[in-house]
Amino acid sequence: MAKNKSFTSLKVSNKSINTNLSLTCMIKRQNTLMYLVLMFCLLFINPAFAQSDHSGQRRITGTYAITNATVFTQPGKSISSATIILKDGLIKAVGNDLNIPIDAQVIKGDSLFVYAGFIDVASEAGVSKPEDVKRSDDMDPSDPSNEVAGITPEREVLQYWDINNGEITNWRKAGFSIAQLVPKGEMLPGQTALVVYGDKESTNILAESTGLYAQFETARGVYPGTILGLMAKWRELYKNAQLKYEHASLFKEKGNGINRPEKDPSLEAFYKVINGQIPVVFEAEDELEIRRVLRLKKELGFDVVITGVKEGSKLAEDIKGADAKIVLSLDLPDDKASKAKMEDATEEAKKAHERVVAAYKEALSEAASFEAAGIPFAFSSKGAKNGDVFKNIQTMIENGLSEEGALAALTTNPANMLGISSYTGTVEKGKLANLVLTTDSLFSKDAKIKYVMADGYLFEYEASKSKKKNENVEDVVGKWNYTSETPGGTSKGTITFAQESGNLKGEILVDDPDGSGQVTRQLENVHYDGKELSYTFSIIVQGQEIVVNTKGTLSGNEFEGNLSIKDMGTFPFTATKEPDFNL
Amino acid sequence: MKKFTYIMLSIVLFGAKSLYAQTPKGDVLIQNATVLTVTQGTLEETDVLVEDGIIKKIGKDLSASGNIETIDATGKFLMPGIIDAHSHLALDVVNEASAPITAQVSMADVVNPFDVGIYRALAGGTTVAHGLHGSANAIGGQSITMKFRYGTSNPEDIFMKEAPRTIKFALGENPTRVHGRGKNIQPRTRMGVEAIIRNGFAEAQQYKKAWESYNSVKGKKNNTATPPTYDLRLQTLADILDGKIIIHCHSYRADEIYMLINVCRDFGVDKLVFTHVNEGFKVAPELAKYTMGASVFSDWWAYKFEVYYSTAYNAAILMENDVVTSINSDSDELIRHLYHEAAKTQRYGGLTDEQALSLITINPAKQLGIDEFVGSIEEGKQGDLVIFDHHPLSVYAVPQMTFIDGVKYFDINEDEDDQRIKVSPTEMVEPVYLKAEDERCMHGVELFMQEAAAFNHTH
Amino acid sequence: MRKINLTIYVLLFFLLPVLSYGQIEGEVLKPEGGSFLLRGATVVTVTNGILENTDVLISNGKISNIGTGLSASGATEIDCSGQFIYPGMIDSGTRLGLVEVGSLAETQDYSEIGNVTPNMQALTAINPNSVSIPVTRVSGVTTVLSVPSGGLFPGTAALINLNGYTPDQMYTGFNGVPMNFPTSARRGRWDRRSDDEIKKDAEKALKDINDIWERASTYMKLEDAEADLQYYPEMQQLAKVVRGELPLLIEVNKAEDIKNALKWIKEKAVQNAILTGVSEGFRVADEIAAADVPVITGPVLALPSRSSDRYDAAYTNPGKMLEAGVKVAIRTSDAENVRNLPFNAGFAAAYGMGKEEALKAITIVPAEIFGVDDHLGSIEEGKSATLFISDGDPFETSTQIMHVFIDGYKIPMTSRHIRLYQEFLERNPGLEKH
Repeated sequence: MAKNKSFTSLKVSNKSINTNLSLTCMIKRQNTLMYLVLMFCLLFINPAFAQSDHSGQRRITGTYAITNATVFTQPGKSISSATIILKDGLIKAVGNDLNIPIDAQVIKGDSLFVYAGFIDVASEAGVSKPEDVKRSDDMDPSDPSNEVAGITPEREVLQYWDINNGEITNWRKAGFSIAQLVPKGEMLPGQTALVVYGDKESTNILAESTGLYAQFETARGVYPGTILGLMAKWRELYKNAQLKYEHASLFKEKGNGINRPEKDPSLEAFYKVINGQIPVVFEAEDELEIRRVLRLKKELGFDVVITGVKEGSKLAEDIKGADAKIVLSLDLPDDKASKAKMEDATEEAKKAHERVVAAYKEALSEAASFEAAGIPFAFSSKGAKNGDVFKNIQTMIENGLSEEGALAALTTNPANMLGISSYTGTVEKGKLANLVLTTDSLFSKDAKIKYVMADGYLFEYEASKSKKKNENVEDVVGKWNYTSETPGGTSKGTITFAQESGNLKGEILVDDPDGSGQVTRQLENVHYDGKELSYTFSIIVQGQEIVVNTKGTLSGNEFEGNLSIKDMGTFPFTATKEPDFNL
Repeated sequence: MKKFTYIMLSIVLFGAKSLYAQTPKGDVLIQNATVLTVTQGTLEETDVLVEDGIIKKIGKDLSASGNIETIDATGKFLMPGIIDAHSHLALDVVNEASAPITAQVSMADVVNPFDVGIYRALAGGTTVAHGLHGSANAIGGQSITMKFRYGTSNPEDIFMKEAPRTIKFALGENPTRVHGRGKNIQPRTRMGVEAIIRNGFAEAQQYKKAWESYNSVKGKKNNTATPPTYDLRLQTLADILDGKIIIHCHSYRADEIYMLINVCRDFGVDKLVFTHVNEGFKVAPELAKYTMGASVFSDWWAYKFEVYYSTAYNAAILMENDVVTSINSDSDELIRHLYHEAAKTQRYGGLTDEQALSLITINPAKQLGIDEFVGSIEEGKQGDLVIFDHHPLSVYAVPQMTFIDGVKYFDINEDEDDQRIKVSPTEMVEPVYLKAEDERCMHGVELFMQEAAAFNHTH
Repeated sequence: MRKINLTIYVLLFFLLPVLSYGQIEGEVLKPEGGSFLLRGATVVTVTNGILENTDVLISNGKISNIGTGLSASGATEIDCSGQFIYPGMIDSGTRLGLVEVGSLAETQDYSEIGNVTPNMQALTAINPNSVSIPVTRVSGVTTVLSVPSGGLFPGTAALINLNGYTPDQMYTGFNGVPMNFPTSARRGRWDRRSDDEIKKDAEKALKDINDIWERASTYMKLEDAEADLQYYPEMQQLAKVVRGELPLLIEVNKAEDIKNALKWIKEKAVQNAILTGVSEGFRVADEIAAADVPVITGPVLALPSRSSDRYDAAYTNPGKMLEAGVKVAIRTSDAENVRNLPFNAGFAAAYGMGKEEALKAITIVPAEIFGVDDHLGSIEEGKSATLFISDGDPFETSTQIMHVFIDGYKIPMTSRHIRLYQEFLERNPGLEKH
């Protein structure tokens, strides 16, 4: 392997790959030289031509051979004692009695089970939320700008995505290697994109603008402020996009005598949907939301993928009739209520509890019901915990979903749905080198993921579970006295942090906005990385839940930061830890 | 019956295309009842036969063919299904309070067929309800007229498809509080409310014109016209001007009622009903001459300043002045005993039985434009019926059975206590609520005024 | 059911004097004192059965004589043939007089700042000239308990008769201290606290109450020992409750909370406890009966508290409690529409309580609970002449109330609602001027 001396230029080319790719469309100038240079650079993604790496982290080879494994090439089909040869991000061969290339790193697959890498149809992993738009003081809430109203279909999710985000590591660890990223925001947050969870030096982009993402969420205090307004706004935007498209086409065709169409990025973002090039990716959790999506689809006529679905198998006929694609949430309801002890309860309570148990059971068997209704579905990770994925899928299987159906929902169904089955979704020659290797058959209780291969890169995991502990949680544990300055005046109270199996939890004592005295609220999303501490909690004001985000830096016994409330602003916040006399 | 009707029907029609379009229709013969027809007097010891959802025959000694269910109603009273012209029941959202005109929004989008309140309304004899937008805006959203076919999971199954379009308007304290005082935009006064409505109508006229001129040349050779912007709000207002939508206007004071009558007269709009209309009695002659009537509370007053000078005799005064008058609930609680609310007009103004019953049957039907289908017991009308053990205007009356389209949705003797269609899988015991929501009209708008007070702890 | 002719006739009959007086500018109708002989009525005594064709003599504010063929010189005679005499109805839980216009903070006098304010006297803030008072009393509701609200101990409630120009003229013998028992229920659909949070809040509230009760007990003991105590009006008032001088009105609704409240009453040995609200009383009726604590419940025209409850849970609640042996009074919890008390009782009657018991629940039972049955709650000689005359069953909406007497005063049968009716039934000018 020849060492390349042009060290720095290579580094640049690697990092600017995204720009280079988008530049390719400008090559129409026939600048052959430029083209060649670009091609040359692109070739260097291939790590076969590598440079020195003083971190010592780089892999030795891009060629792998997994030997003597049980390979599920696709749902329902398996080969035992098979070998898989992978090279430069592709599956080169699958079968028995294969020759192992000399440059291959061999992974002994004895007792391992191999599956195609999982595909996530709606993921927020690594996606950050765009900053809230500043609202002008004289803004008319009845007629806000699109941006303020949460209508930004022109945004590309990739602008807000970071492959280095720890969430991606977690989801990859759960077996996922391809995800359709969905942007964060409100009603129309932007366009989705397809990525692979590969090496952090790569762009990992498979396709941009794969769908128009939509949610039943609205910005607060402006039109549209509820699903009532949202539905009307949807109709209006779509029809105006159609009219704008008509107008623009006319202008392009005729020109003479036609008024210039006014530029409108939001409406233009709908063009691909109107032309049937991409679907609307609509998040809808329950039956009523799904029906609302179908209603809009029926009126306006777009293709739709419904994501985050938690119920709706009863609507099978309507879903089929509308040719809507279904993506189930990997989140399942908790079993606290259904597992409650009822021995000492009244007859009446027992009867009521039976219905809770039945509802819980029904929720768990939604996947099975969709399968039985003949609706192929995929999964989405949004709103689910990566650690619960297998437990949840096992639960779905216990409640009637076939193992084959579960595997299809993780691999072939999403590949078909996303139109990428030509290059991924199965373990076959020529497909992307995306694999999951488990210690037991995938859905058995003891199965652990040992390796994940994504984009030809191998990631190895401890097969025994050990929970990662928060960094130096002891820094935080204890009682803190806080002060915050808000428009309503200074408020004071205490926050108590405790440690529970390595994780931080806590509660805050805040003034009760609805009355006198103080109330205790549980902290959620507590994160501490050794320096930065963040958490959220919610309070009820006049019946509305308001989420308060707190973020700041910890140094010794001082915690200084900001608390922010959506649409209200950011306010300074300080806290001091009470000395621990028990020490 | 109820939810099982749907289950059975879907089994019977499994796979059949007609399933999507059809709501259950039933057959029933009710025998020997005191029939309160509302429009054609009281018929003693009379039978009513419903076939395929329609009242086929009213008379004595009727016989039913085949195995039609027969109910002996000897000693009982049969009245038409009760109609509530103002309700917010079974709606997931009530107010889109973000703009003074939100004519573009539609309550049909937020109907929640799982609301157990529907069953409770049926248990009080209510079969049809007009689901309105709230009163936060001068012009609110388009309403939905519902037939309470409880048991379905499909909102469209409870839409009353024959009903014409209706829309909510609101005058007085609510829109001025939400927008003027809450957000510092017009309207802050009753002057502003008038201006907002006039502006809306005038803009709609322009909008209509713009589209008419575009459509007249569109498709013609060498035309260079480009489409105007589509505006669902103005389109809806234009539909009001074209007489396609009935206005139901939340109002209290006589002056504001008179104002809207004048605005509508100026714009040639005559499909106008006033709702709440506590001071309607003060402009009863005007309401009688220029509107489709008034839908009032039986006795609500003094809960806010604009209803301080009102009277429980409102309905009686309006009726005696020939205003088409109805009594509505605006409440998930009152909707369960509208027969009792109507009966109060006998204490407050001495209305006859027939007058009192018309307040909750044929009159609201007229105000909703559905009186050819429902609102009285007449041959050819839909089989929406309620059986009571006593005269429904007696305080001791207890509804026994409720039918819609000849299908029984409530039976006091046969029904299970727990009538929820949907149960949360994560709630141990469903929450106990100690207070019903007050005045649903303003539901969901408080936050606009309270946002800034989130950290103001002075209460 | 009646027909219009009769109703209009009756209506015009009793409105006639009003209409003629109305012609005189500035004329105001006042309650009339003196002696009245109510001739030939059916007297529903509540405590001694129904007396047909009986006369009732009112003098010096009291029912001085009940019998047949009575005569009294100087008494104004009122022909009551075909009519009924009932004791004035008592609403045992209202906000009447403490609020004029519901949404206007300037007129809301029922909720003071602070969590422990038992020293706040409802009687002080009751507006004797509230427009709602005449509107209420012409319906035959003559007596109400006006109750402050908010916090753990909102204040001191007062029983008033709905006639008088000063609170003292209205006061009719009962004060009680309401307490909001900590609840694990939601305050409304907007209350989105988690189950754990609700439980924690309730536990904290119970601890607060226990602490305060402890303090009040200490205050009482020291006071009884004639210690020289610092000014502490809150504890001074609560000490009266601990001592049993003032009854404790415990507002509690959810079944589990009711059980906890009963336990608490026993633990603290509360001497004079009354449960109020009790909307889920039917679930624990036997326990309430066994504890022998009286109940004031209502409104009866209310939604069930749980979505799984049978639709008529609130209607049947009073009847079910009564059947289990609980002493039940009915309230409206209203202010401007306390006039709906008889209809709440009517629904309770229709849904299992029966007419007779439902009538007791708004007459003699609350009188007994409040310890004022010596002068209120029934038609008996020597009791206060607080009663009404109707042309039928007062629970029926078609019945008209003909006359109302409060403490022997004949009440003018008018109110804002009636005056507006008189003015606008036939407006002049009508649609056109001249």
